[in-house]
Amino acid sequence: MKNATQIQQSPETAIFVRDLRKSYGKLEAVKGVDLGIKQGEIYGLIGPDGAGKTSIFQILGGVMQETSGEMSIYGKTAREARSFVGYLTQAFSLYQDLTVAENLRYIGDLRLLSKREIEERGMKYLRLFDMDRFTDRLAGRLSGGMKQKLALACALIAEPRILLLDEPTTGVDPVSRREFWDTLAELSDQGMTMVVATPYLDEAERCSRVSLIFDGKIVETGTPKELRENLGLQRLELRADDLSKAEEILNQVEKIDDVQRFGDRLDLMVADAKGGEKLTREVLQKEGVAVEGFHVGQPTLENTFVAVLRDLEGKLTAPPFPRKRHFQERSPEAVAIGAENVNKIFGDFIAVKDINLAIKYGEIYGLLGANGAGKTTTIKMLCGLLPPTNGVIELAGERGSTRSQHVRQRVGYMSQKFSLYDDLTIEENLDFFAGVYGVPLADREEKKRWVMEFSGLQGQEKMLTGELPGGWKQRVAFGSAILHEPSVLFLDEPTSGVDPLARRAFWKMINELADRGVAILVTTHYLEEAEQCNRLGFMVAGEVVAEGTPTSVKAAQTGHLIEFITDKPQAASNLLKKEMERWRISLFGDRLHVVVEENVQTGINNLKKRLTEAGIKVFDAYEETRSLEDVFIAVVESKREN
Amino acid sequence: MKELFYKFLSLRWFALIRKEFNQIKRNKRLVIMLIIPPTMNIILFGFALNPTVTNLQLGVVDENQSVESRELISALTESQSFQVAKYYLSDNELNDDLTAGNLDAGLIIPNDFAKKRLRGETAEVQLIVDAVNSNTATIVGGYASRIINNLNQQILRANPPKVSLQTFAVEQIPRKLPNITPHVALLYNPGLKNSWFIVSGLIGALLVIQGSIVAAASMVKEKEVGTIEQLLMTPAEAIEIITAKIAPIFFLLTMDIFLALFVAKIAFGVPFLGLFVIFLLGGCLCVLSGIGIGTLIATLAKSQQQAQLISFFVMPPLVLLSGVTTPIEAMPKWLQPVTNVNPIRHFGIISRSIMLKGTDFSILYPNFLALATFCIIVVSISMWRFRKQLQ
Repeated sequence: MKNATQIQQSPETAIFVRDLRKSYGKLEAVKGVDLGIKQGEIYGLIGPDGAGKTSIFQILGGVMQETSGEMSIYGKTAREARSFVGYLTQAFSLYQDLTVAENLRYIGDLRLLSKREIEERGMKYLRLFDMDRFTDRLAGRLSGGMKQKLALACALIAEPRILLLDEPTTGVDPVSRREFWDTLAELSDQGMTMVVATPYLDEAERCSRVSLIFDGKIVETGTPKELRENLGLQRLELRADDLSKAEEILNQVEKIDDVQRFGDRLDLMVADAKGGEKLTREVLQKEGVAVEGFHVGQPTLENTFVAVLRDLEGKLTAPPFPRKRHFQERSPEAVAIGAENVNKIFGDFIAVKDINLAIKYGEIYGLLGANGAGKTTTIKMLCGLLPPTNGVIELAGERGSTRSQHVRQRVGYMSQKFSLYDDLTIEENLDFFAGVYGVPLADREEKKRWVMEFSGLQGQEKMLTGELPGGWKQRVAFGSAILHEPSVLFLDEPTSGVDPLARRAFWKMINELADRGVAILVTTHYLEEAEQCNRLGFMVAGEVVAEGTPTSVKAAQTGHLIEFITDKPQAASNLLKKEMERWRISLFGDRLHVVVEENVQTGINNLKKRLTEAGIKVFDAYEETRSLEDVFIAVVESKREN
Repeated sequence: MKELFYKFLSLRWFALIRKEFNQIKRNKRLVIMLIIPPTMNIILFGFALNPTVTNLQLGVVDENQSVESRELISALTESQSFQVAKYYLSDNELNDDLTAGNLDAGLIIPNDFAKKRLRGETAEVQLIVDAVNSNTATIVGGYASRIINNLNQQILRANPPKVSLQTFAVEQIPRKLPNITPHVALLYNPGLKNSWFIVSGLIGALLVIQGSIVAAASMVKEKEVGTIEQLLMTPAEAIEIITAKIAPIFFLLTMDIFLALFVAKIAFGVPFLGLFVIFLLGGCLCVLSGIGIGTLIATLAKSQQQAQLISFFVMPPLVLLSGVTTPIEAMPKWLQPVTNVNPIRHFGIISRSIMLKGTDFSILYPNFLALATFCIIVVSISMWRFRKQLQ
């Protein structure tokens, strides 16, 4: 609340909000929010599911009336301002059976633009988004990322002064997400003001300022850098031979604020890096866990978010899962999910090409790829919903035909969007899945209670599932997919739209299941969490182009990643993109990442020289370890260019 | 016993059925759809398809101006079928108004009418009918002949001579109507009987239409929303999924049979002379046929909208070729055999016979057999197609 009294209306204020409140019946969703958003800012709203973000957007967009409070958008009320406010909602607001050009024309006509304006602006934005080749394609045939870019183009065609974006990139792959944010950065440079909500905190790093919202109130506001520094903690990356054991031990150590598992490493949050490292080494040595590596890093915005929220709502502890089924001992070599030269051809389109997989019990396998790379088709074939054109599938011990009742009893499946019945209550959904999987009656109550606790929805059993916000629905869906304790689990984008805290609970559970011997295949667009997989497969255009542990996938990359701190990151990015392959350059908030093939020092010198010549000041430049996302983009983009 | 109950509760099929019932429970539109349209349709059809005609505008040229001629006019108007609009002095004036459409019929009584009657000769009167609406014209002609026939009977009882009626339709060649035999007079006042006939036949059409629409909607919904994949990943077998989907619909539509009978009784006083059990059996087969047709439609459609459009195409011919609203005998010869594969036709015969005549099974069994055969074929095909789509 510290900025609340400082907010004043000034000539450069685009959006001014004071003591905004919104109640739905008894429920108060927004409890006195103050905002002062300057022209040209990208203003981020982050917070857990149900914090009131969407309500704020609906009020700003003039779609909903506030209960009380003061608000002005360039001096006008939200309703009056609708002519110059663009609003992009979570769901695609496109007409699937109109072409790209027709969608734009329709929105333009609604906004009473002339035919010439529609055509000129339409082409301008399509060109900007690298979509001008697709004007005649049906919107329904576009990939998720392209749909979202088209929706943005539709919002932009009226040339609004303010753009409201409510989780615009949920379900959009990392490559498209970066392009999307590059576009936002360009628009902000041109003076457009944007308010963005996002569950992806790496995106929030690219905002000019961020407000953290909790329970309808703003808890903290500042630039991403300020927020990170306010935390006063440092991040230690630890690699050890037995991570589960190390995690368990370190969780007991008081001086370590937070322990999080990231696949092949643990992230520890400590006040003092040196002391923390010493302490950790001592504790682990005593318990006989061998430390393989230590690395000191900057805390991320996500670390901040989790730390702040933990202070506010206490540690989110999912209760232990009520285990009832006895898992048979399997040889570690037994294949749970297997594919041999599997192809899927639709007409003359090859959706999946020569996939080979062997996922063992107890393994978490991450299938990563851009929208439309063939991940979902692959999953459907692996779990038997779609017959492959050729090749052999192996699932839970059966080869070839994997549709037997016995196999399905042992498989859990959480599909991308529609895994629950919207017209049933939460309890009825759980009853249904428990019943249809034959969970013994005696165990059902306990298991249902576990799902409700895991989802943080105790007491809401009678609520209609369709009324749940996206993130919460995902939690219930995840819970109902593992009710019957499957030995093989397919999770298609389980954490899409889920807030960081809940995401950790998901992954804690996923790790727990894997430790117990469940084979898990998971897809995600959130590469931070993909680090927690034991093995990864990168899919591009229906093919697995790279496979390995997160560490080995990263190590297989040639070249070096250099981070630049400059005064004009956007200009620097635009300049370098003209001279190098696009994938080598990406913006991370105020930092610029460039991948160079030559030796680090020569690379830094050459690029520094190039940027200085163009009048861009370089404050700092150094080599940085690559994130999985950097690797993903490099792999995907270089394959696409071939 | 308790153990058995628990065993049932933990059955997979029970979970599937309970889910369907829960979904239906919240689907207010479905419940409304199962109650309002059948009630409305029975009432509407019963009244609207009633061929009774009243208050026909009658123009009269009474050249005779006698007690006998007035007796004839009052016999016509007494029944409420006719209403004297105007008296004319000449045939031409009457013709002009008839042509202008101000009258439905014209009656010309010649000046020797009373004299002929008294003499015991056949006294002729002329009835001119506006035959633009041929249906009304026929009815008008029919009414007039019956009424006059009736009058004949009365006069006959007193003395033998009779009145004879000569009907003319405008733009038609005048023809002499034969005297009507007495037993036709028993069917007089056809209004009430007609609603009985229509309503009892309509029940089958309603059951089939409702069954197919509701079944198609429920089957397509899961495909449309996308939850079908999740369902297919469960250990439930295709046959369990389909039967669980059909069962609640079947149950609800069976309730519709009772509703239809109730409305028919309350609104039109339709009697029920036969055995209820065999009626219910036929009704169930009829509902099942409808569900089969609906499921078949669902396998052809990708969305509820498509399913509805296909229903629009399938349903009218089924109703038209059922003999419920128009007699099958009136259809072209080549078309008549086609009606034999129509479940509405067979149930129409069954329900009319049982309700109105009290016919028993030994006579109706061919219709039951036909209905059951249709049912088995359609339900098997649709299940087979649905299963194939699931896999």
